[in-house]
This record gives sequence, structure tokens and C-alpha cells, in this order.
Amino acid sequence: MFKKALLLGIISGALAGLASVVYQNKVYLEATGVEFAIVKPLNIFAASIAGGLLAAIGFTLLTRFLKAKGEIVFNLLFAILSFASILLPVGYKLPLDAEAPELFYGLAIPMHFFPALGWFTLKPLFFPSKQA
Amino acid sequence: MKKIALTAVAALALVVTFAFTLVQGWKISDKCNITFSGTGVNGIFKKFSGSIAFDEKNLVQSKFDVAIDVASINTGNGLMNKHAKDTEWFDAAKYPAIKYTSAKIVKSGAGYTATGTLEVKGVKKEVSLPFTFTAAGSGATFAGTFNINRNDFKVGKPGGDVADVIKVEVSIPVTK
Repeated sequence: MFKKALLLGIISGALAGLASVVYQNKVYLEATGVEFAIVKPLNIFAASIAGGLLAAIGFTLLTRFLKAKGEIVFNLLFAILSFASILLPVGYKLPLDAEAPELFYGLAIPMHFFPALGWFTLKPLFFPSKQA
Repeated sequence: MKKIALTAVAALALVVTFAFTLVQGWKISDKCNITFSGTGVNGIFKKFSGSIAFDEKNLVQSKFDVAIDVASINTGNGLMNKHAKDTEWFDAAKYPAIKYTSAKIVKSGAGYTATGTLEVKGVKKEVSLPFTFTAAGSGATFAGTFNINRNDFKVGKPGGDVADVIKVEVSIPVTK
């Protein structure tokens, strides 16, 4: 169970990292022309995989202790925590030589939802729902 | 008699012209650095303009008439930048510039002190700004550090998370 959750966390985190890097370079940079040197691909991947690993631990613990309701609580918590985490980029202070800090939110905030998106997308492959 | 008067006027004009031509006008470089810091806030102003006439040997004729573009403020956080330009703080729409015009510049220790009028958010106040002048080749740098009480200029509300006294550091490279 934990091994499968861990694998799901790592793969969905890596997928979220990939989606974030594609979003940064192929969508955001193309659209705004603004590049934030502080947002590095390595950091994006590391943070996304860390998010996936935390999700795996949380999922395992909640489904173990709360049984059937564990997944519902986990899904709710993952969504709430992803949403709450947008406070980090909102309050983040960029280096003073960074151009257009007001455009930073449009880059960083969507990325905070990618790990959850990756997890929910791949979960049926790792934990297929039981048919009645 | 007429000749003497004409000679006197010509001499006076020459002296006045000579006095004025002695003051070096400086062109402000784009690499100005105007930073502010205090508890709860720090940032920079990116745009600085105006005229600087300064000669170490002719302080009487030396003069600063400069302005900072309030909209160029950068605190590193987009929301804070927006907040800083709002009516409660700098009210950039109504008061787009922070202006300083010197009235007197005197030698002060190893540096100089400019006394003049600082205008922030429409409030004018006489302030003395200590500064140094370092010449290097065809250029030079004016640098100074001083404290400003933001309450004197009605910038923000007194107290709160942001310190009342803000430290301002200025470094202005100039060329002839």
C-alpha cells in the first residue's frame, strides 16, 4: 500500500514538475516575456516531488486510520492545502532587481495546484476503484 | 565717467559669468541606487532624474534639483508595490514625484550637507541631507545615508507594522 502510494507520489510529483516547467517556458514566458531567474527547473521538480511524497505519506496514514473515509478526508485536505499554499508566493519577496514582481503570482500560483492535479489524475492507475 | 561705468559693468558681468561657469553640471547615470529600509519594509526606487550642478570649489553656486518617480518603487512584492502607490502611502496618481531642491550646500567633515526642501506626497519640509562626493575620471558618485520620518510627510499611518523612521541610502553615479 505505502509503496504504491510512494510511487504514485513520486511519479505524480515529477509529472507536476514537468507540467510546471512547460507552463513556465512555453506558456508564461511566451505570453508575458518576463523571466524570473529565481524559479529554477530543479527547484520546481524538487518541490513538486516533495509535495507528491508528502501526499503519499498523508494518503497512507489517513486511509490506514480512517479506513473508507480516509480517502475523502485526504482529497479534501490535499485540495485545501494546495489552495492555502498560494499564500507563499503571494507573500514572497523577490530580489529588488527583479522586474515586474506583480507578474510573479501568475507564474507561481498555478504551479501550486499541479501536484494535486497530477495525483488525482494518476491515482486510478495505482488504486483502481473497487467495483460493487 | 561713462567709460569707467561701462568697464565696471563689463567686469561685473565677467565675474558673474565666471562664477556660474565654474559650477560643473552633471549628467545622472541610469545606474542610480535609491534604497529604503526599516522594520517591515525595504525596497528601491528605480527612476531618478533632475539636474545636478556641483563643484567642490564653488559650493555657493552648487545646486540639486532632483526628483524620484514614485511609480518606480519596487519592494520585491507585487501586492506591496501596489499598496505603496495607493492613497494611504505615496498616492502616486496624485503625487507622482518625490522632489528635492537644495538651497544651500556646505562642507561638513569629510563630506557635504545639502539643506533644502524635500517634497513628498505634497508635503514640503526643509531637510538637511549629508552626502559624499567621489570623483573618478570623467565621472563621480554622490552618496548619502539619512533617515526620514514618514509621518512628517503623511506617508502611511503612524505606527503599525512599518517603522516610522525609514533609512534611505542614495548612490548616484554621474558623468560630465
